[in-house]
Parts: sequence; structure tokens; C-alpha cells
Amino acid sequence: MTNLWRRHRWWLTPTLLIMPAAILFAVVILASSVESLWISLHEWDGFGPMRWIGFDNYRELFNDPQFYVSLKNNVIWLVMFMLAPPLGLAIALLVNQKIRGMRFLKSLFFIPLVLASVAVGVVFSWVYTPQFGLLAIIFRFFGATAPAVLSDEHFVTFAVVTAALWPQTAFCMVLYLAGLNNLSEDLIGAGRVDGAKGWNMLRHIVLPQLTQVTFIAIAVTVVGALRSFDIISVMTSGGPFGSSSVLAYQMFEQSIFSYRFGYGAAIASILFVIMAVFIVWYLTRIIRAEERGA
Amino acid sequence: MTNHQPSPAGPETEIAKQDAMTSLELRQIQKSYGAYHALRGIDLDVEQGEFIVMVGPSGCGKSTLLKTIAGLETISSGQILINGRDVSHTEPGERGIAMVFQSYALYPHMTVAENMGFGLRMAHRPKDEIDAAVMRAAKILRITDQLDKRPKQLSGGQRQRVAIGRAITRSPDVFLFDEPLSNLDAALRTQMRVELSSLHAKLGATMVYVTHDQVEAMTMASRIVVLNHGSIEQVGSPLELYRNPANLFVAGFLGAPRMNFFEVIVDSVSGRRATVSTAGLVPLAVELTDGASVQKGDRLTMGVRPENVNLASNPAAATFSGQVRLVEHLGRETILYVDAGSLQCVSSESGTGNVTVQIGHVTGVSNDTTIGLGIAPRDVYLFSSGDGRTISARKSILAD
Repeated sequence: MTNLWRRHRWWLTPTLLIMPAAILFAVVILASSVESLWISLHEWDGFGPMRWIGFDNYRELFNDPQFYVSLKNNVIWLVMFMLAPPLGLAIALLVNQKIRGMRFLKSLFFIPLVLASVAVGVVFSWVYTPQFGLLAIIFRFFGATAPAVLSDEHFVTFAVVTAALWPQTAFCMVLYLAGLNNLSEDLIGAGRVDGAKGWNMLRHIVLPQLTQVTFIAIAVTVVGALRSFDIISVMTSGGPFGSSSVLAYQMFEQSIFSYRFGYGAAIASILFVIMAVFIVWYLTRIIRAEERGA
Repeated sequence: MTNHQPSPAGPETEIAKQDAMTSLELRQIQKSYGAYHALRGIDLDVEQGEFIVMVGPSGCGKSTLLKTIAGLETISSGQILINGRDVSHTEPGERGIAMVFQSYALYPHMTVAENMGFGLRMAHRPKDEIDAAVMRAAKILRITDQLDKRPKQLSGGQRQRVAIGRAITRSPDVFLFDEPLSNLDAALRTQMRVELSSLHAKLGATMVYVTHDQVEAMTMASRIVVLNHGSIEQVGSPLELYRNPANLFVAGFLGAPRMNFFEVIVDSVSGRRATVSTAGLVPLAVELTDGASVQKGDRLTMGVRPENVNLASNPAAATFSGQVRLVEHLGRETILYVDAGSLQCVSSESGTGNVTVQIGHVTGVSNDTTIGLGIAPRDVYLFSSGDGRTISARKSILAD
């Protein structure tokens, strides 16, 4: 027995250690993904028997105007969410200064992180309220009337993304704050001796040391933009007339409210493909960066 | 930006321009962190072309002092002048210095050439001038074939060369080195030590070098600055400090194996001679340095370097005797740790009060051998017990 163990432990030990995570990943992620794909090829109300319809769900989806509205909104989310990493970096650089009172300011920037995104949605719904909201007060100060952004199909997605940017920016700020604490003091010193100051210091000495953090911030932000759901549910329920819906919300709506699990699964599959494209691009970049030794 | 970028035209012209000029001047440098005084009033003048080595135990303030010269640490009070210009509150990049860090501190995302040229790039120098300066430095350090690599692809010794090259490229008025060799293995350290010395000779530039390694200090320095508790204990050439240490601290710090120290009492004083003794030691009549005065009954610390303790040819010539506790054969020489009974060393290197003896290669001496040892009065140092000042130094036979 012991001999058997000794001869095989070179592969048994790593296998045993990786096994729990691998099993969990296989059951929760892989199996559900495959089952989702399977369901997307059926007509199913979630309770009764499933009926095989091949690619009919996808055919319907590509002719559904709501699908393109959701897709366009996902693109708006993605583009606007890309503001979160640079904003987070800017705030992190600001609150990282050793100035009296900065700790208090820092804790203020932390607040959206501890709020549930449902709470963030509610807070911003109030901000946008045309009668007494913060936005209305600001507009009134300049003698203007605030638009009802959440019921205007042109503004609504931008208004929702702005709300969602708040916690996302705070999250990126925390990532960058951690990164700033890990900067090499000697490298900063070498940069100062070499005469780098201000923008040059940031561009040539600080940012290159934050590359890994930036990678993570962008990845988390992209995924956050693509899977945005809860804040839309709270603020607009995808309205008015589905104009603020995104793929994740449309999937939820079709499955839960319209009892069309097959159609919902088809939307989920499309979302999965979009994410997969991004993740593959992201992973290749990371692997290449590691090979370069940067 | 005050346009003080030293011209990379070559050191020769600079030497001519600044001949016999004070390159670096420190006036009453103080640095405190709250109640802790890291530097307590440092005064130092460094001539153009000198190689100054700052040594001292951990926490003596040597690295802090270097960083204040670089401008990476602010000073609490005092003045720093480089080539006569007050740079006490100038940005590090505008002081005309270059620094080599212990960790090399190479920019990991830049190639070797980009690393070396970064300082000139920040000074908005034209590209061909930067390329020429980088190539010149790379040739001096023989790293021209490494220019396109990144720091990660280099060995420790090569990284060290790049770090030095980055300093050379900037043609600074003063080079600063912060323990640059301590991350290298022993063989490479010896080689780099020699190369740094020849580089200094070649460039003729002013260099300030911090180390805790006394071999580096002794071999490379034109002058050594010994620091302790944020103050300068003594400044002088390596041999000067070795032969005439100003006090007990310097005497104990320089020299390996370390000097033997004994508590002694003055038996009698006649003229410039004091006779000292302690239990287990034949009394020694030692000549005092000028201006030193001792009285009968004074307690002093006597110091003798291990190489000045000799094997006595016959029992009558011995000033003390003891049993050998440990023998270290180093080939050309032998180090003995001798238990001399009641004659106990104070805080000796062997730790147990044993006397350290350094002699040429011997045979027939092994553990527990009883041997007679001799100390000549002219080889003895005396230090006052209070402030540790030297009151008698070894009378070197080789006058210099």
C-alpha cells in the first residue's frame, strides 16, 4: 500500500488537491452550461415536457427586434462601463495622497461597495425622480426642468448605467488602491532620480507596475457590464417598452414571466458566446504577457 | 525646470572644469522621524573624484544619509551642496546625481537600452544623443549585446551592470551606491568590487558608496566614513582608520577578525608611559598619544588586533598563556581562539571571552594545547573607559 502510494504520489497529490474544485466547476458551471444549450433547442414552459424544435428558438431570436435592442444596450453598458477603471484609478491616486482627512474621504468612496446593487438602484431611482430628486433640484437651480430620464427610451439606459458605474468605480478604486500599496519604493525612487515627475511618473513608472491590476479591473468590468441585471430589474424592469433591457434581463423575463425557458436558454447561450469571445481574448493576452516575462 | 542636466560629453572635460573643487558638501544634516533621530548633524566634504565609502552597523543611518543626498528623503535641517549649488530642497532628478539601488530597481517593462536612456529621455534630450550615451555606457560595462533584453532575462550580475550603466548614462556629478553588491554571490561580488574600482579610476567621478561590508570599504574607498547611531565616528583613508582609529567603536568595527579588548587598570604613570595590567597578563608599559592623560588607578580598555598576538618562542617571552579552544586553518594563516583563564576578552568575536589570535600557518596546535602568547607594548591600543576615545595607538613599525 505504502509502496503503491509512494510510486504514484507524484500525480496523485496534485490530482487529489485539484479534484474538489474541478468537481465543483464541472457540476456548477460546465454541466449547467451544457444543459442550458440543450434546453435552448427545445420548447419548454419550465414544468411540462420539453419538445424538440432544433434551432427554431435561435431563428426566432434573430428576427426579434427586442433582441437587437437588448444587444445594443449591452454594447452601451460595455462602452460606458469602461469608464470605471480609469475613474477608479483617478480616485485611487487622489485618496492615496497623504493628506489630513484623506482617510475619511477614502471611506466615503468605499460606501457603494457595501451597498447591495438593489439599494444602489433604489437610491438612483430617487435621484432621478422628476418631482423631488437630486437631478430635478440641480436642474431647477439652473432654471431648467429635469427630464424624466427613467421613462425616456433614449436616456433610460444611460441613466441606469450611470447608477451602476458608481459601485463599479468604487470596486476599481479598491483594486487600484491595493495595487498602489504594492508599488516598489525603489522603482519610484529610481524614477525620481531619473527626473520623472507628475504625468511621466504615472505613465512610465506607476502604470506599468499596475498592469496586472488593470487587467483584472477591465475583466471584472466587462463581465459586470455583460451580466448586468439586478439594477435594471429594480430601476426600470427593462422598460419603458423594453428599451432598457439587456440580454441577461431579457433572458430572465422570457423564462420567468413568459414561461419560455427554451427561448430564455437560447438568449443565455448567445450571451455565453459573447462572453467566451472576450474571455478567450483576455486569457491569451495574459498568457502572452506572462511568456514575455512582463 | 532648472536646466541642470550634466552634459554627457565625457568626464575628462568635467574634471578639468571642476579641478580641486568640492563636489559634495554636507553641513549639519539632521533627520528625525518624530522623536527618533536618524541623523544627528552630519558634516562632510567630498572632493571631486573621491570614492567615499560609508560603513556602519545596521541602523546607523548610512542608507538614510545616502537617500537624503539623493533627495529621496527630506532632511529635517542642514544643507546639501553639490558642486557648490545648494540642492537641499531640489527634486532628485535635478540634483545632478545618479543612484544604484541594492535591488537594482530596473524598470521591468523597459529594455536594457530604455532603462539606461530613461533619465536622458526625461530630460528631453535628442534621440541620437541618448543612443550615443547608452552605447558609451554599455561599452564601458561590456553589455552591448544585452541592450534589447528585458531585466527579467538577465542574471543578477548583468542586472547590476545595467543599473550601473543607467547611472553612467546620466553623467552625474555624484554617483550614489546603496549596498549594490549585497545581492550577488561571493565570487561575483569580488569581481564586481574590482570592476567598480577600475570604473571609478576610468570615470574619475565622485562616488558615495554605502555598505556594511568592511572588506568593500577597505578595498574600494579613498576615504571611509564610519557611522554609528546617526553620527560620524571617524573619516579617513582605510589604512589611517585601521592604524589610528579615533575610538573604541572604529577600532572594533574595522578589521577581521575583530580586535581583542580587555579591561585593564593603570598601575603607574611615568612621563608619556603608562603601565597597565589585569589579572592573567604581565604588566605592559605603553606610550600614550599626545594630549592624553591618565592617572594611576584609571580603568581603561586595551585593544590588540589578533594579528599582533604572537606565539611566544619560550615561556619567558610570554605575556599570557592559555588553552586553545578552537583552531581555524585558512591555509595561509591560522586563527586560534584561546581561553586565557582569568584574562577575558570583552565582547570578543568568539563570544565566550576567548582571545582571538591570527598567526601564519602552524602545525602541532590543536584543541586543548596550552600555549604561551606574547603582546608587544608597541602593538597595544588604549581607550578611555568613558567615551571610548583612543589614548594610545599602535606604533606602526612601517612609517608612512
